[in-house]
Amino acid sequence: MAHTEWKDAPGLPDFSLLKRLARDQLIFLLEQLPGKKDLFIDADLMSPLDRIANVTILKQHEVDKLYKVELKPIVNLVNADKVAGRFRRYKIIFTPQKFYACETVLEEQGVYGDVTTDEWNFYILPLDDDILSLELPEFFRDNFLEGDQRWVTTAGSALRLLQSVYGSFSKVYGIGRCAKMVYESWRELMEDGEQRTRQPEFAKVFLVDRDVDFVTPLCSQVVYEGLVDDLFRIKCGSVEFGPDVTSSDKSIKVMLNSQDKVFSEIRNEHFSNVFGFLSQKAKNLQTAYDKRRGMDIQQMKAFVADELKGLKQEHRLLSLHIGASESMMKKKTKQDFQELLKTEHSLLEGFEIRECITYIEEHINRQVSMIDSLRLLCLLSITENGLLSKDYRSLKAQYLQSYGIEHLLTFANLRQLGLLEEQQAGETLTVMESKVGKLVNDKTVGKLTDAFSSLAKKSNFRALSKRLALVPKSGEEYDLRVPRDMAYVFSGAYIPLSCKLIEQVLERDGWTGMEEVTRMLNGQEFAVTEARSKTDAQRIVLVMFLGGCTFSEISALRFLGKERGCRFIVVTTAITNSSRLLEALLDNSA
Amino acid sequence: MAGILYLMAFVLQKESQKADEYLREIKEQSLLSEAVRQCVEAAGHEHEPETQKTLLRRHFTYRRNDNTHWFTPSLSQLLSLNFPPEQFVSMCRDLRVLNAVRDYTVGIPLTHTQFKQMTVQVLIDRLVYRKLYPLAIEVCRYLKTPEYQGVSRVLKHWACYKVQQKEESDEVIAKAVSVKLADAAGISYSEIATKAYESGRTELAIKLLEFEPRSGEQVPLLLKMKKSPLALSKAIESGDTDLVYTVVMYLKNELNRGDFFMMLRNQPVALSLYKQFCKHQEQDTLKDLFNQDDDHEELGNFYVKASYKDQRLEARVALLQSAVDEYYKAKNDFSAKTTEDEMRLLRFQRKLEEEKGEQLVGFSLHDTMTTLLSVGLHKHAEQLYKDFRVPDKRFWWLKLKALAEKEDWEELEKFGKTKKSPIGYLPFVEVCIKHHNKYEAKKYVSKVTPEQKVKAHLAVGDMEGAAEAAIERRNESEISTVLSRCSATTDHLLMERLNRAKATAVKK
Repeated sequence: MAHTEWKDAPGLPDFSLLKRLARDQLIFLLEQLPGKKDLFIDADLMSPLDRIANVTILKQHEVDKLYKVELKPIVNLVNADKVAGRFRRYKIIFTPQKFYACETVLEEQGVYGDVTTDEWNFYILPLDDDILSLELPEFFRDNFLEGDQRWVTTAGSALRLLQSVYGSFSKVYGIGRCAKMVYESWRELMEDGEQRTRQPEFAKVFLVDRDVDFVTPLCSQVVYEGLVDDLFRIKCGSVEFGPDVTSSDKSIKVMLNSQDKVFSEIRNEHFSNVFGFLSQKAKNLQTAYDKRRGMDIQQMKAFVADELKGLKQEHRLLSLHIGASESMMKKKTKQDFQELLKTEHSLLEGFEIRECITYIEEHINRQVSMIDSLRLLCLLSITENGLLSKDYRSLKAQYLQSYGIEHLLTFANLRQLGLLEEQQAGETLTVMESKVGKLVNDKTVGKLTDAFSSLAKKSNFRALSKRLALVPKSGEEYDLRVPRDMAYVFSGAYIPLSCKLIEQVLERDGWTGMEEVTRMLNGQEFAVTEARSKTDAQRIVLVMFLGGCTFSEISALRFLGKERGCRFIVVTTAITNSSRLLEALLDNSA
Repeated sequence: MAGILYLMAFVLQKESQKADEYLREIKEQSLLSEAVRQCVEAAGHEHEPETQKTLLRRHFTYRRNDNTHWFTPSLSQLLSLNFPPEQFVSMCRDLRVLNAVRDYTVGIPLTHTQFKQMTVQVLIDRLVYRKLYPLAIEVCRYLKTPEYQGVSRVLKHWACYKVQQKEESDEVIAKAVSVKLADAAGISYSEIATKAYESGRTELAIKLLEFEPRSGEQVPLLLKMKKSPLALSKAIESGDTDLVYTVVMYLKNELNRGDFFMMLRNQPVALSLYKQFCKHQEQDTLKDLFNQDDDHEELGNFYVKASYKDQRLEARVALLQSAVDEYYKAKNDFSAKTTEDEMRLLRFQRKLEEEKGEQLVGFSLHDTMTTLLSVGLHKHAEQLYKDFRVPDKRFWWLKLKALAEKEDWEELEKFGKTKKSPIGYLPFVEVCIKHHNKYEAKKYVSKVTPEQKVKAHLAVGDMEGAAEAAIERRNESEISTVLSRCSATTDHLLMERLNRAKATAVKK
């Protein structure tokens, strides 16, 4: 999936500009405190900061020492200094923005007068040519679970930043409550500021809430980049490969983006293809090296000067990725993983549910993996529109036996989000049944019961999946080498709902004809035309995921872009995957 | 020489031939443009409109003479002339403004120099101060002052004055203000409302705030006016969380607790925000909030959470007991029962810790059993198994794993024979292989169900057996699995047999 295949696709805007902007503002803030200074950095900010301004830059601006901040240390530091009678100047720089509550806390801790505060409006970190991240992993829990909408304005500001740098958008689509709020906040910000009319670099924006589609992030990822994320956890566009990958005793940190020529060719591939691809690549590399033989001095000189460095670099990357995929193969071709995938696919198809439940039960009983068990439970609940009371109770009880009673709270969280539910309709229906039952004879009661239970079992996911054709008919061969649709990112078993929605809306230029789908997704959809423009920018679409997006979705969108001759730019509050999603909802600690 | 020019013009006006002479005089000194400039400037210093006109006309007079015939210049012609017309145009404008304010009804006799010194802004301010709003607006429009500094500012002042007029009703004023200000850009209604409030007209202020598009501007004033419910709903409407926080924190200090809670109760967004704040800062308040709402479910969760933050066992059990009570109130029998179990488990763990010195408190049931089995306390593990209705399957898995880990193969064999395994015997095979004990593994292969036979044989590396089983079952996919594991060099014969069997299986 090299860039050359997209000859007709429009070029992407240069996002390094965003980095420069953020860096300049940071430097400005640092310069405002002349002289030597120590910098205390929040642990979560370390990696993003590193992408913007490395230690050398910080040192150039008289940053003396760097510290990692754990919990509330600034306040403690200030108070300790006060007790010791030491005088220093303190400045707290909030990023991306300062909240009123921050001041309240400072006030309560009695240091409000001792510190000055400032904001560093570092909204967007470009992770790659087509991935922009707000680096707000807390967005998901805060917004969807806690009902705290503080990040909505942040997302709005991010859009406004994009707009002021890259020009305005002509059309905005969205679905979800949060998407709507972000759009409104963005509109408001736009009205406040000056209007700039310039040729836009992208014309369409699609906003989507994570809770519109929970199924996709809950599935095991099988595309290379997603799999690397699931197994090794990509952090801020870089991953740390352990000794089992590097085949040395050291871990190596690698940046994973389109700069890495090997990676950029395999990132979107189904992992079953990756190994073959890499070994072919290795052979090519060997041929390139072999050219040396039979060279005279002059040719050799040219070879060393021009090619060798590139080859060495490629060699290094290649051996890393081969190492990574080997380690993946070891983990993933094992029986367990195959069975796990099979269960997932059955759930998606709504097929052999009983077997799936048995499998999940065993999974829990054997304490295979806390997160994976939970993930399967959620997948089961969403695809089946809630669990039968009997199953729900028994599975929950078993889960608690395995992982502790604290997870009562985790289950409460999951229920609140609709990720793991007991079929409620059943209860109310039973009440109704017994009422009706008193009026008619026994035989009819039996029939009624059947009718009611079929009513209660009506599952939105199934209906959605049918309507949007998310799950291809089983039994058909799916050639993963030559993907025919976005389902390839899940081994041909499922087209990500989020991506399918985007595809449909762009095709219809709105939500018309999809009323039934949006109703099942709880509505809140919108489509607004801001301005008309007929440029190449029309074919660059900005997709904003509120609450995180997975690499599989990004791969699927890249595929879609290739099919339709357009390009997608993903803006996300953070890169997520099933583990991150569920870990955010755990309540067993803190 | 401007003097001469003036004179000349004067003469020209009288249609005297002398003009030409004067003009030549100036021309000789080649200072014509300077003369024109001076004329224009002189006009500025003239108070009498008629004289101003004459002086300004000189400007043209000269131009016309240059071309030696007379005509009245149009604006475009004026612009095409060499002499920059800006000065002339702006002087005309200035003079018009000055003349207007010099009018006896206004009575601001300013000289042009004074006017330039004090700037238009100040002049407008003075007009505003004298409540000459229409004139001020005219001046702004005429001088094309940007709306923010010009018309809008005057209108704002007008509105501020208007709202202080006590004789008119709130409705009339609000309407008048909104009609007048409708199209003006950059009007801050909140400032006007503040004025209204300051002059004691709270109702009017609220009405005016309705026109304010920015909630951030409405809220502080509403708070000042003690209209906190309105402030809160406006803040929520704005979607700006920070603003909501501001109001909530303000209310928290302003109201007594009961009223505060009541107010939050009607505003779910604010309530969830405040809960969020309490979670981090004030745990006890959170409890009070749940109490007020009779939210027993949440209270139960709250106690459970509190319980595992506490280190002391007694405190933990007590907290869990509270949780149980709440769960029962919430009719959540499941959670209540589970919590009761947890209390029992904690007591059990503590007792055993004291007796055996094993670290157990806080472990999940599963982990507790694992620990017990791994240190050989099988009796106690079994007691848990019975007391807590642990499913057979789990217990078997647990015991299997624990025994294999200790490589206690004898015990494992005994255990396998106690009754029919609820998890089948394939796990037995697999666990032995995992611990590299092929010999033990083989013991269980025969016990495995037919469906899993192939797998079991393969696990122990018995190709022959696997092939046998697969062929017997005539299962195509199983035969293929075995085939894929065969190596072409050593299992040649076997492969042939399998291929044959496969062919027949497919036919069927």
